Formats: sequence, C-alpha cells, structure tokens
Amino acid sequence: MCGIAGLVGWDSGDGLPELALTMLGRIGHRGPDGLGYVVGDGWALGTARLAILDVAAGTQPMGDDSGRFWLAYNGEIYNYRELRTELEARGAVFHTHCDTEVLLQAWLAWGAACLPRLNGGFAFALYDRREDRLVLARDRFGKRPLFYARHGKALLFASEMKAFLAVPGFAFRQDPAQIASILGSWTPLPDQSGFVGIEQLPMGEWLEVTGATATRHTYAPLDLLDAAPPPATEGEARDAIRQHLADAVRLRLRSDVEVGVYLSGGIDSAIVAALTTDISGRPPATFSVTFDDPGLDESAEQQAVAAALGTRHTPLRIRAADIAEACPEAVYHAEVPAFRSAFVPMFLLSRATRDAGIKVILSGEGADEAFLGYDLFKETLLRADWASMDEDTRRQRLGRLYPHLGHYGPQDIAALTGLYQQFATESMPGLFSHEIKFQNGRFSARLVKGAGDPFTAITALIAAHPELSGLSPVQRAQWLEYKTLLPGYLLSTQGDRAALAHGVENRCPFLDPAILRLAAGLNLRFDDGFEEKRLLRQAFADCLPEVVVNKRKFPYRAPDSAAFAAARPDYLEALLSEGELAKLEYLDAGFAKRLTAKVLTRPAAEISTKENQTFLFLLSLALLHRTFVARQGIPERPAPPVVRAVDLRGRT
Amino acid sequence: MDKIRAFIEEQFLVEFDDDFPEDTNLFKEGVMDSFGYVQLCRFLEREFAITFSEAEMTGNVLVSLSQIRDTVAAKLAAAG
Repeated sequence: MCGIAGLVGWDSGDGLPELALTMLGRIGHRGPDGLGYVVGDGWALGTARLAILDVAAGTQPMGDDSGRFWLAYNGEIYNYRELRTELEARGAVFHTHCDTEVLLQAWLAWGAACLPRLNGGFAFALYDRREDRLVLARDRFGKRPLFYARHGKALLFASEMKAFLAVPGFAFRQDPAQIASILGSWTPLPDQSGFVGIEQLPMGEWLEVTGATATRHTYAPLDLLDAAPPPATEGEARDAIRQHLADAVRLRLRSDVEVGVYLSGGIDSAIVAALTTDISGRPPATFSVTFDDPGLDESAEQQAVAAALGTRHTPLRIRAADIAEACPEAVYHAEVPAFRSAFVPMFLLSRATRDAGIKVILSGEGADEAFLGYDLFKETLLRADWASMDEDTRRQRLGRLYPHLGHYGPQDIAALTGLYQQFATESMPGLFSHEIKFQNGRFSARLVKGAGDPFTAITALIAAHPELSGLSPVQRAQWLEYKTLLPGYLLSTQGDRAALAHGVENRCPFLDPAILRLAAGLNLRFDDGFEEKRLLRQAFADCLPEVVVNKRKFPYRAPDSAAFAAARPDYLEALLSEGELAKLEYLDAGFAKRLTAKVLTRPAAEISTKENQTFLFLLSLALLHRTFVARQGIPERPAPPVVRAVDLRGRT
Repeated sequence: MDKIRAFIEEQFLVEFDDDFPEDTNLFKEGVMDSFGYVQLCRFLEREFAITFSEAEMTGNVLVSLSQIRDTVAAKLAAAG
C-alpha cells in the first residue's frame, strides 16, 4: 500500500525532484517504508511505499525495460498471480514477484483493456514518455483515492489532496456549492473534493491526459443487473456464499507480512475473522474499538468472536476526550467534511494496530451494500409497496422495521404511518430510496448561506445514468449507497484515510466483484428482505457465536457532539467563535451560532441526529478551513527516507 | 402561545425577527421537514391538550407560526 503523487505540464525543470519529494513527503504516512520518484522534462511521479509484497524488490516508481513507461502505483491487485501466469504465457518476462510489475506488464500487453481484469483496490499513475501521455486510474469501488487539479498549465495528482500543499502557488478554497451537496447527500459524490478546482477521479474510471486535454473513461460501470445465475435452493445458496467468501478472503490474505482483522461486533467482520482463521490455519490478531456508553459499545460480541476463534484480541477503549483530542488530526487526514465522529476511533485504532506490528487488516465493509444489510433497504421496500398494502400489512412491516413499535402509543403509530404515506411516492427524481435519509441532509445544508437546492449535483449524477430506470427501487438504493456513503465515507474517511494515516492497509473481502454478482442474484430470491442479510447469517451460523449470528444490524457509531460538549477541547472555542466562523464566508453565521449554542449547552439526549450530524459537519468544515485554507496547525511528521530517485530530464 | 414560538426557535434553530417574520412559510424556507412537522404537532397536542387527526398531522397544513397560533386558538375555542 502506498501513496502516489506527481504532475505533468510543469513549465520549468528546475526544482522538480525537490517538488516531487515535498509532495510525497506530505503523504509519507501512507508509505513510511520509503519515497521514490522519477522526473522527466516537465513531469514527475512518485510513490511513498508501504511494502507488503516482495518487500525487497518492489521499489517504485517502476519503469519497463525500454524506459518508455513509468508507473507509480498505490494498492493491491489480489489476482496478480493469475494475471502473471496469463502474461507469462504471452511471453512477458518478470524481474520481481510484486503486483506492481504485473500491473505494468498488463498495461503493456492490453492497454486500458487490462483494467476490468483487475480485482483489487488501487489507484495508479502511468506516464508514457514517447506519447507524453499520463494515465490515472482507480479501482471499481473507490477503495483507493486519487485527486487531480489543474494548476496553471500543469495537472497535479495525488492520493491525498494534502500533497498539493507542497505546490508553489497552489491555494485551497472551500467550494460552497460542493459543500452544500456534500451536506445534503451526507458525503462527497464520486467526483467531489469540497475544494474549488480539485476533482476526484470517480471509481471505475481512468483519465487520459495529453497536453491540455484530459479525458475521463469508464471501464467498470456499477451494474447491479450483472448477477450470477442463482442457485436453485437455499442450501445451495448458502454453499455458494461460503465458497465465494472463502475465495475472496483467500485472495486478500496474499501478503508477505502478517494480516490482522478488525472486529466490529457484527456478523460481517466475524465471518471475515472466521474465514481468515480457517484459511491461514491459525487465528489472526484482531482489533476493535470499545466505548463507555453501552448504547454504542459492542465489546461483548467482539469478545465472543475473539474467544470462539481464539484470536489474539486487542480492544481499544475510546473515551470522549480521545475523540475530542484526535479529531483535528483525523479530519486533516480525512480531508473532506464528516457527518459523524466514528472515523476518529478508527484513526486511533489504526495507530494501535501499527504499534502492534500489523500492516494489513481485513474488515467487513461492503457486506451491507451487497447483501441488503441497511434499514434503508427495508424502508425502501416498504415505501415502494405502501400503496398496495392494507393497513394491517403496513403495521406489520413497520413493526419488523422498527421492533420497538410495540411500545409506541396509537398517536405515535398514526404519525409514523402518516409519514410513510407522505414518502410513498417519489418527489426527488431518481432519489426515492433516499428521500427520508436526505431530510437530515437538507437540515445540514442550511449551514451554507443561500445554498439553493443541495441536491442539484446528485440529481445530475442520477440523470447521467439512464440505465438506473431499469433497476428496482431497492437496487437503485444500493446503487446510491455504492456511489455515496460507501466510497464517500466508509471506505475513505473511516476506511483508507483512517488506516493509512498510520501506514495500515485495509482490505475488504466483501468488495470482491464476484461477491457483488453472487449477492445480486440471491437478494430477495429466497426471502422478502425484511430479515437483513438472512442467507449470509445462516451460511455461517454454525461457526460463529449465536450472539453475533442473531444480532440485529447495529450501526457503528461513536459519541458525536456529546464528546465535544463533554471534553470541551481547547481548540473548540477558538474554532467556533464568531470571529473565526466569519472567516468561512459561505456559512450562515446565525444558524451555525444557534446550532453550536444548543449542542454545547443542552443535555445530549436533547440533541437530535440531524443536529449531531450538522455539528460534526460544521466542526470538520472549520478544521479543514484552518489546515488547508489558512494553513495553520498542519501536522508535521518526518518524511520517509528516499529509496529511489530517477532523473530523466534532457534524456530521450 | 409564546411557548410555540420558543419551541419552533429551539427545534428548528431559527430566530423570528424582521428578516424572518412570524408568517414565514417554514416548509418553503427549508426550515421544517416532515419529521419536524410531526414533532411540532405532538408538542402542540401535549402542551394544549388538543388532538390532530392523521391528515392534519401529515398534511403539512400548518406552515407558519402565525397560522399555527390561529389554528391552536381555534381548536381551544372549539373545545370550549
């Protein structure tokens, strides 16, 4: 795992090596094992490397034998051995055992047609010296990040935007229109960064840069209709789930360093831990976060899994003060506004994981999207059929969605059914499934003065995908989750950015394309979807503790605004004072002030979810402004050593 | 009746003044959503011992502070 950075179209050759090194130094946390760069006439690319495969020989950037192509690569291609066998059969000769070289040879052999063959999480930059052409590419789910920006005549790119802090004359400016969209939809959309002029390369795409022209191409569109033929019986379905997941875990255990597992307390990571134990023949090291608040803590389930499998388990207790203290640095790593604080404990957990000597971990991310684990999916099923259901069926389905409904009074139930009645037909084009969820977003978007409609960008995204009209409401909900919450928060702010802040690589077996195809064929075939992930649970019921198998979906959360109200960190007042907030010119100052006053003075129980969410957004926006725009309080770490430097300036 | 004003200000984080008069349509301004509306109705039911029908509660018929005041006053008067 690594970080990459570089640029093309740079006017002057002077200082390019130094510039490349400073950019890489800013993302040195992603690759503490060493920096490497290659510079040519007006271009540079490089890598901060975290050595996982062929630790000794896999130094980057890597050039081909002719010296025409140069590759800086971040990530892992799990099927690299199979690809290598194919390439060798075509006559390719390899010098290392590293997946970097497989990618380089795959590009030489197949060009961009190699991309759909890759099963992994990756982002890379490849420079073709003969054609003066840069290629940037990113994996199909957006596992690894890649940002780019025009700067004068140059085009800059990097795994994390903070690399651009090193570029002379580059200024960060927060973009009110993007911020309103991020607040409304809860996360950045696939191409958004939150900053003016910086774009993310969306998942499943590659970018071709020649001179002043940059063209985006899609190589792996998300196709939820691409389903594996479903098995005939439930028993066969369970076998297929076990088999496919074992294969996905086996591929992700390919590593020359030890692989650990993050345990959340839920079924998905427990399955990953069980399969890891099975396949590697010994229990892995496992890690988890725990909380004082029993409403958030999942220690009992984590311990049950660790004990059942015999893992070497390390729980990390997170207190409100820990979240408040680490938040500024975690937000600096996240780089985009966050709607909850749960990524901060994950940032601290990756530090503990690194300190325990583990560089690679597996986790359960991606299971809820593939196997319909979220309440959102049940809610969508219910609302989509609302008009055709009689009163009793509605109540019964509502009861399965909200198990506590039995405790509600008749007026509460009337209010709830009335609400569903209102949300039974689509009022936001293409966003039916998310209309209730986005109510919170609409509230948060009030932070942006004169924001207009915060859903303009996501509506345009939907409109650009006419194929969505061929999907069922619940498939459209899945599609949106794969394009928003998963890449925009779970895999990034709470995933890649939190883990790589401390040089830990996270891998997600549930994001194997074969798993998605399998689930697409199974979902709603053997049940009505109201018992979430039923087949997945049953497939592993005999090898996991009952307390985990039968546990209802429990969203991973951490104390949100309450952590800050309780700990009152020193930076809070300075950051949220009237004078400081006035520097964020796009803010509705009155709303921000009323929100802050309420959140910091009222008991936690009186703060609603959307107020919590909006406060976290406000806090992260203010922190991002301070570090990126005002360039104050930027965390500094010593840069990793330079392990490879190639200077091709003036050479043909 | 000032309790209603206080509830709305507190719940929806607004401040009624010359720029934000009491007859502002709270839905159109994006201040109140459907959930907030139901919360408001439940508050009014508790506070004034009145009842809203399901249609009233979900029809988004009370759109401004001044309208809400008038409606509550009418319900109280009707209840005698």
